[in-house]
Amino acid sequence: VTESGPRVLVVDDEPQIVRGLRVVLRDAGYGVEAAASKQEALDAVAARAPDAIVLDLVLPDGSGVDVCVELRRWTELPIVVLSAVGDEHEKVRALDAGADDYITKPFGTDELLARLRAVLRRVGEDGNDAGVTVGQLFIDLAARTVTLDGAEVHLTPIEFGLLRVLARHQGKLVTQRQLLREVWGRGYETETHYLRVHVAHIRSKIEPEPSQPRYLITESGVGYRLVEAP
Amino acid sequence: MGSGVWGIALAAVEVIAAVAAATGLVAILDPIAPIAGLSVIYLLAVVLIAVRRGQAAALAAAALGVTTMNFVFIEPRYQLAIADRGNVVALAVFLVAGLVVGRLAATARDRAAEAERRARQAAAREREAGMLAGAASAVLATERLDAQLASLAASVESSSGSAVRVGLSSAPAAVAGEIAVPLPTDTRPGWVYGDPDASLDRESLERIARPLAGLIDIAVERERFGTRTAEAEAARRADVAKTALLHAISHDLRSPLTAIATAAAGLRPRDLPEDDRAALLATIDTEAGRLAGLVDDLLDLSRIEAGAVNPRTDWCDVGDVVAGALASVRRRYEERPIELDLGGPLPLVEADAAQLERVFSNLIDNALKFSPSDAPVRVSATAAGDRVVVRVTDRGRGIAPSRRASVFEPFGRGDESGKGSGLGLAICRGFVEANGGEIQLQSNSGRGSTFAVSFPAAAQPSPVP
Repeated sequence: VTESGPRVLVVDDEPQIVRGLRVVLRDAGYGVEAAASKQEALDAVAARAPDAIVLDLVLPDGSGVDVCVELRRWTELPIVVLSAVGDEHEKVRALDAGADDYITKPFGTDELLARLRAVLRRVGEDGNDAGVTVGQLFIDLAARTVTLDGAEVHLTPIEFGLLRVLARHQGKLVTQRQLLREVWGRGYETETHYLRVHVAHIRSKIEPEPSQPRYLITESGVGYRLVEAP
Repeated sequence: MGSGVWGIALAAVEVIAAVAAATGLVAILDPIAPIAGLSVIYLLAVVLIAVRRGQAAALAAAALGVTTMNFVFIEPRYQLAIADRGNVVALAVFLVAGLVVGRLAATARDRAAEAERRARQAAAREREAGMLAGAASAVLATERLDAQLASLAASVESSSGSAVRVGLSSAPAAVAGEIAVPLPTDTRPGWVYGDPDASLDRESLERIARPLAGLIDIAVERERFGTRTAEAEAARRADVAKTALLHAISHDLRSPLTAIATAAAGLRPRDLPEDDRAALLATIDTEAGRLAGLVDDLLDLSRIEAGAVNPRTDWCDVGDVVAGALASVRRRYEERPIELDLGGPLPLVEADAAQLERVFSNLIDNALKFSPSDAPVRVSATAAGDRVVVRVTDRGRGIAPSRRASVFEPFGRGDESGKGSGLGLAICRGFVEANGGEIQLQSNSGRGSTFAVSFPAAAQPSPVP
């Protein structure tokens, strides 16, 4: 087994799903390991940390949320959560506990690979404060300016703050709690209406068609992501 | 009507006063008329006492009258002796007449009192009968047992003016100052409680206890019957739903499974041309997606039917949620025209955004499914009064009036095309109602349908910094 690419730990107790993911991920150039329970997952990460984890929320010995909580005590390695319809509350809990993104079962493999790329890229680009390009949009994090198609866009400090958090996690889901905490501070995590109002303002300035956004995408009830919609 | 020592003392005083008054009157008339004739005045005193105090007092008045007459007016005066024989006869006649008249007057008085008592009792019975009739209709007017008991008590209270309370328990549970009267019920032991000083005293309560108990037995029986009927109805509905579900599973689950199995078998040959291979893989992909959608629908529906929707409410920008729903539907229907009209900023609503998105994507999905492929589906969101309304309009054939009532029922399809699982609208209604909204169908046969979903937006969050 060659292990040139990033190593992914797949945590799921369904052998069929693990088998499928193994083929898909290897094909995309990843090294793959598998764990079938919460304990196996924690042991595997402790023994040799992978570059990313794909984590099912329902495990025989507990919830994937617990795995997120445990891992976040000592590692920032990217976690993509697998959730099913009906798991919405668990999904949000996992994201708030530190998971980086989620994907809903059953998922297309393209979608999974895109999410994995996004979370791995974030790790690679950490510390790069130069700027982020999304489609026609360029966010200059150092100069605190935003241009759309070369023309400068005037944002208020709060609007820029929101966009900067999203740009730093480009392509990755940022939860409502995280946005509220990073822009307004602790104690504001449930004031979700701030986000509704300011996101609408940002969209009216950066989106070609604000009612059908291409860049600043809402994940209803979960959070937002900055991405160029396909 | 005095009683005991006081009554006797009072009667004695009246007897003495009456005889004294008669004596005074006779003394005035004595010089003019013979004493035998004046004894009638004493007779009047006896009658008066008989009417006021009854027979025993009348007897005493007659005796005292005879003695006084003898002592004061009959020669020799101021002695209890009688000189004239004629006077002896007169006194004897007076005594007899006094006794007879006294007895007659006392009897008449007793009869009058008895008649009055009967009339009062009849009036009380009549009042109680009216009260019980009111109580009976109170029992029949409501369904729940505790409501029935409360209205029973309220009805008795409003017709009698005294507060009563009815409670079902084996031991009485009277609060301070209440009297408790047992109800002779057959179903569950009960008590009626009342105020001892009210017009409905213990005696009246005891009288109405039996008919009240009968009413309570009826109420208890009705509740038991109602529970059994509701259980039977629920079981019947569950049966219907299960049958429909099995029906749906046999058809809707089997066809994608068959397609997947066939495609998988088709992939076996090693020398398969690349485009055949791609087509078979696409089939597996699509059909697996259909299966997944159906399973999600069944899961959602079971949560709705179990009352376990548990929305995580949050401030929602409905336009944003609609846009999200539209984006997810567009991935499946890339070619289809969809008109979106979000007329300016909308007030925020409190709802679970993920569930709302499922509602809107279901409605848009449905609209596309039942429209000709070139006819645009229209989605609009507006603020109307205190509500935010989202309308999804298709240009399909519309829904026949006979089917409109059942479209929101599980498996209640709007037509017989067999498209869709028949669960989408039931799920929509479940999620909308769990989030405090309303969903309505406006349909014109032959000219398409509009589904209108509205949410209250009266309360708005604090201003945003």
